[in-house]
Amino acid sequence: MTIREMSAPVAPTHLDVRVLTDRCAGCQECVIRCPTGALSMDTGHWVALADSDLCVGCRQCVRTCPFSAVVVDGPILVAPRVEARLAHPASLLGDVSEIRSGITGWAEALAEAGRCLQCPDPTCVRGCPAHNDIPGFIAAIRARDLEGAHEVLRRTSVLPDICSRVCNQSAQCEGSCSWSLAGGTPVAIGALERFVADMLPVPPPAPAAPTGELSVGIIGSGPGAAGAAWELLEAGASVTVYEKDAVPGGLCNWGIPDFTLPEAVAARPWHQLASAGVDLRCGTEIRPEDLEQLLETHDAVIAACGAGMPLRLSLPGAELDGVTDATTFLQAAKATLGDGMDAAAFRAAFGLAEDPGAPGRPVPRVLVLGAGNTAMDVARSARRLGLEATCVDWLDERFALTRPDELAEARYEGVEVHFLRTLTALRGKDGRVFGAELARTTQAAADRRPTVVAGDPEVLGIDLVVMAMGYRVDPAFTGALPGTPVRRATSGVADRSWSASGILASPASAFADHLPVGTLALGREIGLWSASLPVTERLWAVGDALIGPATVVEAMAQGRRAAAAVLDAGPARPARPTRPDGDGSSRQRRVLVCYESAGGRTARAADAIAGGFSERGDQVRVLPIARVGLAELAAADVVVVGSWVEGFVVAGVRPAKAMRAWLAGLPRLGGKAVGVFCTFAVAPKGALPAMRQALEARGAVVLGEASFGPRELGKRAEASGAAAFGRELARRSTTKATARVLVE
Amino acid sequence: MALETQDRAARLADPVPVAVRLRPPEREGLAERFGPSDPSPGLDLLRHPLVARLVRNRKFQFLLILPNQIVFWTVIFVGLLGTAVPGLNFGAAITWYVWFCLVFVMMVVVGRAWCAMCPFGGFAEWIQRRTLFQRTQKTLGLGRKFPEPLARLGFLIPVVSFLLLTWIEEFFNIAGPGNPAATSFMVIGIVGTALAFFLVFERRTFCRYICPLTSLIGTVGSMGTVAGFRTRDREVCLTCKTKDCMRGGTDGFGCPWYTWPGSADSNLYCGLCSECYKSCPEDNVGLFLQKPLTSVVAPRRRRADVAWAITLLWGLVLYQQINATTAYASVENWMNRNLHFPHYPNPVDYLGVIGLGALATAGVVRGIAALLARRDVELSRPGSFADSSSRFRAYFLPVSYGLIPVVGADYFARQLPKFFQHSARVVPAAAHIFGFSSSSSPIYSFSLATNSWIVVIQIAVVALGTLAAAWSTWRITGRELVSISRSGLGVRLATLGLVLGCGAVAAVLYLIMHAAD
Repeated sequence: MTIREMSAPVAPTHLDVRVLTDRCAGCQECVIRCPTGALSMDTGHWVALADSDLCVGCRQCVRTCPFSAVVVDGPILVAPRVEARLAHPASLLGDVSEIRSGITGWAEALAEAGRCLQCPDPTCVRGCPAHNDIPGFIAAIRARDLEGAHEVLRRTSVLPDICSRVCNQSAQCEGSCSWSLAGGTPVAIGALERFVADMLPVPPPAPAAPTGELSVGIIGSGPGAAGAAWELLEAGASVTVYEKDAVPGGLCNWGIPDFTLPEAVAARPWHQLASAGVDLRCGTEIRPEDLEQLLETHDAVIAACGAGMPLRLSLPGAELDGVTDATTFLQAAKATLGDGMDAAAFRAAFGLAEDPGAPGRPVPRVLVLGAGNTAMDVARSARRLGLEATCVDWLDERFALTRPDELAEARYEGVEVHFLRTLTALRGKDGRVFGAELARTTQAAADRRPTVVAGDPEVLGIDLVVMAMGYRVDPAFTGALPGTPVRRATSGVADRSWSASGILASPASAFADHLPVGTLALGREIGLWSASLPVTERLWAVGDALIGPATVVEAMAQGRRAAAAVLDAGPARPARPTRPDGDGSSRQRRVLVCYESAGGRTARAADAIAGGFSERGDQVRVLPIARVGLAELAAADVVVVGSWVEGFVVAGVRPAKAMRAWLAGLPRLGGKAVGVFCTFAVAPKGALPAMRQALEARGAVVLGEASFGPRELGKRAEASGAAAFGRELARRSTTKATARVLVE
Repeated sequence: MALETQDRAARLADPVPVAVRLRPPEREGLAERFGPSDPSPGLDLLRHPLVARLVRNRKFQFLLILPNQIVFWTVIFVGLLGTAVPGLNFGAAITWYVWFCLVFVMMVVVGRAWCAMCPFGGFAEWIQRRTLFQRTQKTLGLGRKFPEPLARLGFLIPVVSFLLLTWIEEFFNIAGPGNPAATSFMVIGIVGTALAFFLVFERRTFCRYICPLTSLIGTVGSMGTVAGFRTRDREVCLTCKTKDCMRGGTDGFGCPWYTWPGSADSNLYCGLCSECYKSCPEDNVGLFLQKPLTSVVAPRRRRADVAWAITLLWGLVLYQQINATTAYASVENWMNRNLHFPHYPNPVDYLGVIGLGALATAGVVRGIAALLARRDVELSRPGSFADSSSRFRAYFLPVSYGLIPVVGADYFARQLPKFFQHSARVVPAAAHIFGFSSSSSPIYSFSLATNSWIVVIQIAVVALGTLAAAWSTWRITGRELVSISRSGLGVRLATLGLVLGCGAVAAVLYLIMHAAD
């Protein structure tokens, strides 16, 4: 650990903050968010006042001012970051010791924690896929309260030791740190999180006494499964985990080498969970066709089966001997390196030369396709096995998918990484690969697909090819989990509270390799909230199974969110007797009535329907569809959807355009009880069936539908028909009857 | 049951808000700051469902702009392709005989009503937003921020652009009696400039910082009875965490005029576009009426740029009156001969008279401040042009606001002759597009009032404006200057004297102009 220039005084001589008083509207967005109190209000003129002496140049005010009325000129006044030292071994061969040593002493930890501004609206929290309360746990570190830090982290994460090692913080929390967004070097959040976990082991789960009522089956034992199992166990549910491998952990176990994630750390969650009472059944593979039976056994099932199928490139020569995939290579490498380095057996298994170090005999070269994190793991493992490693990726290095620090470490270890190259063919001799034809590519922007540049290909002599472009979900499971993979792309107006925080204002932080950290984080929110919604009745999906190949932290966060949704919904398998109230719990139901209204009549109908529910004691929210997102849908037990109908008298009559777009963008509603209504002037025609079909296609159970004309909703009418519809829906949703209510 | 011991809502809650620990907003002095200018809740037009529905509709502003758009493109084409006779050319006739007068009526009554329907900004905004009325997410153009040093000048750039436009109009004799082709070129120039600014800068930077009319409409419009879009409950705005009205929401764009309904204390910068109303997720924005002159008298914050804009506008209208007198014509000719300038208006005396008018007004106020200001009250505060204060500014800013009605009335009176004498020509000019009508048509020569009556009306308008200014100044002086002056009555009488003097000068000049005619 080194502290660079920690004692060097920072001279606040050139910083100048100015409020453009002509444009400042006195909204106080900057004042309430300024971490240092440099901004206050001039109540006489009702504009913001800036005190340059207090300003540290984080520019949160610049990012959050809606009218761009704050100008900050000058440097960023923050002490240099405490950089973690890398522990490169003297000899790589056979060494699997951890490279990143983390923060090891309180002095360094306190120095780094002192760099945190404790932002009132911390963008790092939004950037973290799990939404860890980063200022909260850093404040606990400052107070030397490790237990407190764990307590804060535990609210949102069960894998702080793992996430702090494997997360790409530069594109997540650290990329979203105020310092980073301002163009500076962020707080070493990952290192501080790891410091907490290193200094005080992660506390084990505190399971509630099992009630035996709720039984949940989890498929897989990756980070998503760990997150879900932890939450369920602590809530008193009975948890059974089905893992096809002999050892739990999924990709964390076999896919991440020990020099990045030591085996003991990777195994920690499952040791703790198994000790706390999780029924861990390793060596039990669940296939998609087994899901039905699993749903009969458990009240709810969470599919956290991950993406374990390696991607393979189809090109001339791909069938040759000596062409393998990342899973095969990494599993073999891990076994070899972990079992005392039987390199000869490893080389024999992959058909490599017997004695690579012998005079006159060149060291075998492994060509790794891709330069993402998987490829880095493969290449660095190969170096530890005494092989040469070359990675090729058709992306531009500026837009590379790997962690920047991982790329630097790989290069330090002697891995050759060539960007803007793509493999076009493999050459073989006697059925064995010996050469690779590489073509040059070009890529203009991160969101542009690289294109191959015409010209003669380079030929690289190689002995082994590992396809390490990443993994994919087993297609059989994708078919069994409707609606997956969920696309994590936002559209329309971004969440306003996110815009207000300023995370979206600086999409191209240099520290984050110019990645749009805010947009990426918003996309992750879609996955996170989608995990709250079942894909079919009583079946949830999380992690890679839900969103396709993703990160450890995302999977863990989704697992926790799905567990919360399971606990919230309180599902019951058919064989389990339901409670007298017929709903599996005695809690107050939450009803969401959402509508698209043009002239106010549909809104009135929605209010009347809500009244019908309220009479039965339900907790009802009435919202226009523009304000209904995944969070609102996830929190509702019953959803009622209503729209006005557009069309010319009786021609082209259908739900309003906004409603059609909203329905088209709906996630899976697996078994959610839904009511449908529409309002019309002349005739509803096919509007109701269209809405019903759209909802049923997403797995919703439509309990009733009704249409209301001018007679029911006219100026003097009391909308009694709509209220009656609400009451009837309330009654039917209690018993989950599926017969339709028809209201004329 | 253990499963239900946890708070259900907490389990599924978003963890982000837990980590957000915003400072509490400042509330001190809210009542004193906004109390006088806040409109009565009963005057909220949007309480009426039909009005609310109309204004919430995204086509609302589009439908306001569309007719003007049609008229102004007609002006451009007819001006270029139609007859050169100004009275028979629809482009020239509607622009100079009717439009400018109507804009004045609108600004005096409504405020920035014209801005809501302006075809120049409207057209450029359609292109900038890439839509006629929908809420789009991507805009066309560079979206730059207007440079801060220029933005700090506030109304001064628009005043300069108004002076420039007026000089061009006078130099090329575009308005009176009218030059159709030049009128078209002028409109094209304004539309082109607006479009360029909309494509380079964000929001309505052009309308706020450049448009030649914005300073006139902004200042004179503050006499209007429409307060604009304001908050219904300020506490809701203060605690709002998203400020959709400023940033843009699902249904509406962020305020194009850089105005926050939560802190608006006048209608100065409310363009009545209704975007804040559409975007507010709390339905906390209303469209309020107010008593006339409220936005002149009530705002606590006085701005130096607005004050100087008022005096410069006063100088301009004085110049227009003076140059219409016989005596001045010989002075003008003498100057042109000696300065080798081809013809009226000579820029030296143009700027000279305007500057003198403004400086004379400021000089009188400086004199009042020097004579009457208390020495024991510290009135100086350092700062930029917009922020700093001094003894002079403590008097000059409020007194200038008090002059708004007399300046506005004088401008309005200046437009009346063209309206009364020639507005009827719009009818034959419109018919002439289709080949009917000629200058021999009886409507062409029809005048709504004789010259004598026009002067009477002009003086009556000035008198009314002077009365309104006197009332405003009396109120403003009582609230803002009495406490910092050695003699309350003295300062009231002095400022009142200035206002009455301005009104008298304007009225006398109309009499002299009539004599010249």
